[in-house]
This record gives sequence, C-alpha cells and structure tokens, in this order.
Amino acid sequence: MLKRRLAPWLYSTPLFIIIVAVILFPIAYTLYISFTNMNVYHWFEFETIGLENYKKALLMLDSGFLPAVLRTILWTAVNIVLQVIIAFFLALGLNSPGLKARTFYKTMLMFPWAMPAYVSILLWRMGMFNTEFGFLNKLLEMLGFSGINYLSNSTNAFISCVVVNLWQALPFMLIMMDSALQSIDKSYYESALLDGAGFWKRHLNLTLPAIRPIMAAPILMTTFLTFKQFDIVYLLTMQRGGVTGANINTVLTYVYDKAFITNNYGYSSAASILVFVLIIILSSLSRSTLKQEGV
Amino acid sequence: MKKYLSLILAALMVLALLTGCANTPAESADPEPSSTATIAEPPESAEPVEPAEPVEIVIWHENNETIAGTIQEQLSDIPGVTVKLERKEQMSDALKMVGNDPEAAPDMYLFAHDKIGVYAAMGILAPITEFVSADAFADIMPMAVDATTYKGEQYSIPIYFETLLFMYNKALMDAPPATTDELLELMKSGTTADSYVFVEQHSTSYNSAPWIQGFGGYILNSDAAPGLGTQEFQDALAYHKQFIQYQPSDGEYNTVTTLFTEGKAASTIGGPWLVPDLNAAGLDLGISAMPTLPNGEPLKPFSGVQGIQVLKHAAADKPDAVKAVLEGLLRPEVGIALANIANSAPVNLKAYDDPDVAANEMIMVMRDIAANVVPMPNIPEMDVMWTVTDNLLAAVNKNGEDIKTTCEAAQAEALEQIAAMQ
Repeated sequence: MLKRRLAPWLYSTPLFIIIVAVILFPIAYTLYISFTNMNVYHWFEFETIGLENYKKALLMLDSGFLPAVLRTILWTAVNIVLQVIIAFFLALGLNSPGLKARTFYKTMLMFPWAMPAYVSILLWRMGMFNTEFGFLNKLLEMLGFSGINYLSNSTNAFISCVVVNLWQALPFMLIMMDSALQSIDKSYYESALLDGAGFWKRHLNLTLPAIRPIMAAPILMTTFLTFKQFDIVYLLTMQRGGVTGANINTVLTYVYDKAFITNNYGYSSAASILVFVLIIILSSLSRSTLKQEGV
Repeated sequence: MKKYLSLILAALMVLALLTGCANTPAESADPEPSSTATIAEPPESAEPVEPAEPVEIVIWHENNETIAGTIQEQLSDIPGVTVKLERKEQMSDALKMVGNDPEAAPDMYLFAHDKIGVYAAMGILAPITEFVSADAFADIMPMAVDATTYKGEQYSIPIYFETLLFMYNKALMDAPPATTDELLELMKSGTTADSYVFVEQHSTSYNSAPWIQGFGGYILNSDAAPGLGTQEFQDALAYHKQFIQYQPSDGEYNTVTTLFTEGKAASTIGGPWLVPDLNAAGLDLGISAMPTLPNGEPLKPFSGVQGIQVLKHAAADKPDAVKAVLEGLLRPEVGIALANIANSAPVNLKAYDDPDVAANEMIMVMRDIAANVVPMPNIPEMDVMWTVTDNLLAAVNKNGEDIKTTCEAAQAEALEQIAAMQ
C-alpha cells in the first residue's frame, strides 16, 4: 500500500529536481537578491536591506512606465489578433481539398521558426529595414519613391516590430491552427454544404466553435510570449550602438533600460520581481477566464 | 520491468544534468599552493633537485588572435613563468561572475581601461604599484597612465591604445579638410543621392564624443557628474546636427563602414580596427589629423587604452610570477611587435624610435592625435552613461527632438541612474 502511494512521488522526483533547479531556484534566488544591496560597490559582500530596492523600483514606475504598460497591451493585442486571423486563413488554404505540394508549403511556412531569433532579427534590420541597402527601400527606389526610415519613428518602428514578430511567431500558430482544423470531422462540412451554407457561414458557425477549445491554450501561451517579448523591440530599436530614436518601450525593455544597466543587481532583481508579479496576475486572470469558458 | 527501466533512465537523466555542475580537471584548483617560493629561493640542500615547475599565468582576452599571440610570444622568455593567453567570450560578464574565484578566474586579463573602475569597486583588481614602481612608467604616454589610474591607484600596464581617426579615400578626396567648416562645405556641394562626402556613426556616444569634447563639453567628468545638460554639450549637438543632414539617417556601423569600403563615401571617422579590411578592399586610404572646429580646437575623440590588469587572487598567490610578467610587458619590444604585426599604436614612447614603427603612417598619426584624445572615463558610473547618451543622441539626431529639452531630460535621467547604482 505504502509502496503504491510512494511510487508516483518516486517517479516524479527527477522532474521535481529539474523544476527546482531550473525554475524555482532562480526565482527564489532573485527574490533573495532583491532584498540585498548587491551592486558594483557591494558585489561579493552584500547584505540585506529590507524593502529599499522595492521602494526604488516603485519610483521607477514613473511617467514612462504607464505608457510602456499600455504599449505592451497594444503590442500583445495587435500581434495576437493578426496572428490568429492570418494563421486561420493560411491553415484553411493549406487544408483546402485538392491542394498540391501541401507539405512543401507547410515546410516553407515553418522556416522562420527554425531560424535563431537573434539572427533573423538582425537580418531583418540590415537586410530589410536598412535605409541605404535594405530590400524595402531598394524596392521603393525602383518604383520611383523615396526611401523610408523604418525604425527611427515610433509608429514606423512599432509596425516594423509587429511584422518581424509575425514572421517569427506565425509558424507556431499555423501548426496549431492546422492541427485544429484537421481534427474537425469532414462530414459536418458535407452536411453544411447540403444545407446550403456558404464559406463564411460554414467557418463562422462550424469551424470557429469547433477549434475554439483546441486553440485556447496555444493562443494563451502565445499571448504570454508576446507580452514578455524583449528581443525584437530591443534588437531592432535599442541595441547598444544602434539606438534608432524610436520610443516603443514595452514593460520589459523599459525595466531593462531603467534598472539593468545600473549594475545594481538588488535593484534589478526587485524590478524583475515586480514584473513577475504583474505577469502572474495576468496569468491568473486568463486562467480563470479559460475555466469559465470550460477549457 | 518497464518500471525499473524508467527509474534507471530517470536517474541517469538527473545524473547527466548534475554532471555539468562538476569541476572539469582543467578548472580544478592547482594542486600546488604556489610555486613562487621555489622560483625565488633556490633550495639550500646540496642534494640535486628536480627543476621547479614553471608558474602558469593565465591571461584572458577578448581580442583578435594576432594581438594575443604576439603578446604571448613576447612573454615567452620570462624565466620560471609560462604565460598563456586564453580567449574568453563575454569576458567582462565572466569576470563579474568569477573574478574572486581563484579556481575559475584567470590571473590577469587584457582589456580596455574603461572597466577598471567597475572591477576595482567590485574588489577583484589588485593595484599594480605593488609590483612595479612609478618610475617604470616614465616612457609611457601620460594619457595612458591617466586612463589606467582609478582613485589614485595604477591598475594596469598599458600596452597600446585605440582612438578614432579621420580616414579618407584618396581616389575621391584630394586632401583631407583642415577644418570642420571646410568639411561641411564639401558635404553641401558634393553629397548626392547615392554618394556621400562624409559618413560617421553620428548618434552613438563614442562617435559623437569628438564633437562634444572638441566644444569643451563632456559626457561624464572625473567627479562622476554627467555633463549632458551643459551649454557646451548642447552647442556641440547643434553644430554637429548640421553635418548629419548630409549623411545616412541611420548612422549605423554596418551602413557607414559599407559605404566607405565600397567607395560610396569619400571620408569617415573610424577606428584603426577598420584598416585591415579597408586595405584588403583595395581602398587608397589616407589617414589624417582631426579637422578643427570653429573654436580652433580639433575634434577630440575618446581613447581606449588596452592593458593588462591583475586579479587580486593572483597578486596574493603568485606575486613573483605576476611581477615578472608585468615587467616583461613594460618593455618597448612588446609595443614594437604589436605595431609591426598587428598595426596597434604603442603607449610606450620608446617604441616609436623603431624605424618600422616610425614608417607606419597610421600609427604615427595616432601618436600625434594622442595629445588631443580624452581617455574614456574609467569610473563605474560611465556604464549607465553610454545608454542614456545614446538615447539622447538618437532622439535629437534621428527623431528631430529639441536639443535643450532633450538634453535636460537626459541629464536628469543620468543623475537618476547614477543614484540607482548605489
């Protein structure tokens, strides 16, 4: 009996050890550091200073922080809406009967996912958006228009970052959408066709309700990944030596710019914990929404 | 059976994971506490003894292999010491993590002087005056000695320095402009849709510094006070902005370098690290002194002094070997070899007596420019200034924001960030 009760714990132990080592320990250590004065001047001999770093980190949440939060919400919403819509129609196209070279298209559409993010972002920056040599400005010049600075103006830079994020994130959404579509019994569509349902009616009343429970989890996951997106905004507009002048700070880039460059690990840790709490709150809200939806 | 198999596999997975935490033999502590005593004092016993093992001094670097190899070669004749230069990626971060750990840290490292303050404040650096007297620096450029001094202590043996140079393509520009006004006139008349008279990384702190410092401004002074709000700083930005309208708006390293290398820009301001590629591209390269500003002062770029710094644990554990290596680095031959092999400008003035060094156009221009360069601040507060100043420059030069308002906001931000370091 005891053996039976212990067995599941025993099997789970390796995984628990990994979770503690890889996830819980860094969080706990960051929390500990956030209560210390670990900085350049107290690098190895730091001591606890109570909530001082949190007071300082809350002061950082100045006039620039709220716009960064709102921008992050806008960034997340725009990206998710575009990803879901584009992935939906691409997946419909990939599942259309009689499509030839389906596997080839799928492989090509997966390609951006296979590229390391850092490389693809810098390729976009130099290869596409560069004002002198970028493909987009070369194309505009060929068509007789003058070039555009894609990254120096905040609106242009925001759109450019959305494009790069779409390019990178779409494959995942597409795979999920494709799998969800394939799980729908084809006989439903046959019945709908017999009943005279057109394209929009079939997909609005049949496809969308059918894929909703399947897509809820990937969309939620992508929402968090998009919310805490850092590298695209940072590498396209804020990289050291390549600051473009656009101000499209998200919560993470804002905190990085304010706290992490100070070499004050206590202060940076406190800022990280605050962002962590913010994400946990959002996560809890989303989970309760999903529960209400029965997913 | 399956149950046991999965248990064994799970245990193996955990073991494999934890194996990564173990020390590799190379990283493990030196079994000999220190063999320096053996080198310094011959054994009293008349019995024949095995010759002492040479003490190994490991020097981390993030430089190119030519420079590292040359330094290693120059230090290969020190008796009783084996010097090994090891390339370490992300060295400055690695030093922060393991700088006080004798098992993981190197004994010394080769790096630009601007991080000296950070590491000294962290407590991982040893002043080198414990090993070398002040007289030993008599032949070193005063600029290099100042650059490597932090809070009155000398922390580095400076070896060579880097700074920005005015470079021009002789096929496109007959002679370099003597003044910046002359350069501006050339830019106004000669810039076309697909060719430029002058290009530079106009919106980075390092590359804007020559203009700011030429105007008498500064990014951060030695008292850790930011100078972004000063009148001189604002005047420099306003004057410099006139030049930016005739340059590519992004002003990025890749854009600027490609335009100059491909002959689409007649001149640029860039570092000596560009020269090998420019020569390889077959460019008829000219290097000249910096043009002078309307106030009669030349553009005054930052200098970065590359030198060897000693970690505290090595100073305590291997004092004799450290002293021998530092003395070896002070020989002018090190600078001569680096100048001839790697085209680096020595800080040892005696090195310039060498006929080959004296015949090197770029190095001689750098020696002349050395009188007007400003060493990058080496105090820890400079770490936050790069980002704040880059943001300010991009806002003014690329986004057209008001100079006065933006400078004042950046000054406030800099003060806030410096306070946040504590």
